[in-house]
Amino acid sequence: MIIVNGERLEWSPGKTARDVIKEKNYLFPLLIVRINGKLVPRKKYDSTVIPDKATVDIIHLMSGG
Amino acid sequence: MADREMITIEIDGKSVSIEKDSTILEAAREVSIYIPALCSSELVEPYAACRLCIVEVNDGRKTKLVTSCNYPVRRPIKVNTSSETVLRNRKIILEMMLSRWPNVQLIKDLAKHAGITPPRYQHPAVDLNPNACILCGLCMRICEQGIWENIINFTNRGADRSVQMPYDSEQPHCIGCGACAEICPTGAITMIDDPNQPYDADMVRRAGMRITEEMIRFDKEQCDMRGVGTAHLVEIMDAYDLLPVMNYRFGKHEDSSKISSDVLRTFFTKGKPDGCWLGCTMACAKAIENFELKTGPYKGEKVLVDGPEYETLGGSSNMGIFDPRFVIEYNFYCDTYGLDTISFSTGLAFVMECYEAGILDMEKTGGLEISFGAKDAALELLHQIGRGEGFGLIAGKGIRYMKKYFVENFGADPGFVFDIGMEAKGMEYSEYVTKESLAQQGGYGIALKGAQHDEAWLIFMDMVNKQIPTFEDKAEALHYFPMWRTWFGLCGLCKLPWNDVEPADNAETDEPAKVPGHVQGYCEFFEGVTGKPQTMDSLIGMSEKVYNFQRVFNLKMGFGKREHDAIPYRSAGPVTATEYESRQDRYDTQLREDVGIDPTGMSTIEKVAAMRKYRESQYEHLLDAVYKRRGWTNDGVPTVAKLMELGVDFPDVIELVRKHGG
Repeated sequence: MIIVNGERLEWSPGKTARDVIKEKNYLFPLLIVRINGKLVPRKKYDSTVIPDKATVDIIHLMSGG
Repeated sequence: MADREMITIEIDGKSVSIEKDSTILEAAREVSIYIPALCSSELVEPYAACRLCIVEVNDGRKTKLVTSCNYPVRRPIKVNTSSETVLRNRKIILEMMLSRWPNVQLIKDLAKHAGITPPRYQHPAVDLNPNACILCGLCMRICEQGIWENIINFTNRGADRSVQMPYDSEQPHCIGCGACAEICPTGAITMIDDPNQPYDADMVRRAGMRITEEMIRFDKEQCDMRGVGTAHLVEIMDAYDLLPVMNYRFGKHEDSSKISSDVLRTFFTKGKPDGCWLGCTMACAKAIENFELKTGPYKGEKVLVDGPEYETLGGSSNMGIFDPRFVIEYNFYCDTYGLDTISFSTGLAFVMECYEAGILDMEKTGGLEISFGAKDAALELLHQIGRGEGFGLIAGKGIRYMKKYFVENFGADPGFVFDIGMEAKGMEYSEYVTKESLAQQGGYGIALKGAQHDEAWLIFMDMVNKQIPTFEDKAEALHYFPMWRTWFGLCGLCKLPWNDVEPADNAETDEPAKVPGHVQGYCEFFEGVTGKPQTMDSLIGMSEKVYNFQRVFNLKMGFGKREHDAIPYRSAGPVTATEYESRQDRYDTQLREDVGIDPTGMSTIEKVAAMRKYRESQYEHLLDAVYKRRGWTNDGVPTVAKLMELGVDFPDVIELVRKHGG
């Protein structure tokens, strides 16, 4: 189990930052991903594996009128 | 966006893995291998004009000389950046350059590095100017590709080739953004005319150039504002259950993809600046040309339509209409009649729900069957509003008027129409569903001008990120962001370049939602114009004076107290059983976890009532916290002490607020 933006989410071995973004249907492009407080660069979403019991913050910025 | 295909190549014996279609020059920079290049910049497309970046490529079959700045990596190759052949050819190129521009420092340094002593021959077009133009073409490419203008370009041929404005005359389209001068490697371009006489024009230009650079580098993968403008929000809002559907009852719809940005992109005029603000490199306002109208006084004519933006598209889903041609047509006629697409569409969504609820019928609407999705009836009513005829005379006066009219003349249940009539302070809501974000309910309700999101758009911070969980956190956000966005109004600036493109290092800052790098840019912009240095706090201070003064103005006009910050309940929660049941799991969970009520065995109506009691009390707590943070009384009136602190304690102002307990 991991915590994503304060909500529980099932964990499985090999689950990446990209997998969580897809599972949560986070389509918004201006995201900041932190795993246990550590920033994950955009280029590394596919290759960054999330450990079990991690706290994941996927911060959405703002845009639009 | 998924990671792209990576290809591993070898450069001077070093292995480097790079995205497919990157250039050899980019790959070399990844592993800190230096290749000289004069006409290359990450901000413009490669041009291969100077030829200095030549390298030797072996693709397994043959070896050849290529220019590394525009050679795409598509399969594993071996690159040699300093073979005997490369060095010999590069030396010849440099020798020719040095003979033509012998005093340009950049050329002199490269020539010296290549071991060239004074050239062996005299160039017939030798230019002794140390700031000579070396014809790299960076200036004209940044103008065309970065600024979306074509102010300068090459003229003449051979030895007479030079960079000029057309016909060697001043071009009125040039706004003096300075991008060409900024990118010029030799200082050949200088800005000589600053008609507005800012205190420090270069400071203003540098702040502007940073935004331009970000737009060029990042926009395509961030918001694609240049491609589709704010229309990209349609699919995003739908994904987060925030797209208003059928008068804000729901937040998504299976047909929303029919009005998504991908569809609108096929209509938009492409590759041209929009003309909203000359030289703005965000260029997010879009236009549609040659659109044939199907209705109204211009039926059959082909017209140019300015838009649609997100709100106009969201307004359409709010009317239950998912037809791009309808959106474009109602956009055109709202503009033509001088109507706001938000007020029209939100007003029509209210009319449609009233029609479906039986408050209106064909007799009352003068024959219009105006249920959700009725696009022909919606357009007819738009034309009636434009002409000031029929039911349009009533609908055109807005929701606040209609609510009263429907109660007094059609026997409507006042509670119901006040719950679903989405307006605050007499202004219609813009197009976001706020039910799951208490902070955003405040963002709409407390906004001085009425129900607009442009003081504070906090839904992601609040609902998705869970960054502002307490009332105090929300109140702080409802202090900072309205003040910040008021500052744009004070300076006559558009807010979109603030946060619709993000600096490369924004994620590493302490408060990325505020985009500190851009706030700093605005401080420099202000200083560059006025000569007065600024900080983030001083900008907020400017706004706070004005914002409080505006609240006092509202008070004077009868709109400035707690009762005027009330919101229709649909803004805070589900009004009807249908709404509740459409998101039953969510609401049942909230009743259990947030309200502390076990919903088992309760009817939907009972659950709606329990949820309402809770959410309405939350909103009142929010108002308490926001007023306290802002230095207002619990009735929402700025205190005398606050006005004195801000220096707006004019005698008539003090007299007015004292009368209201301030």
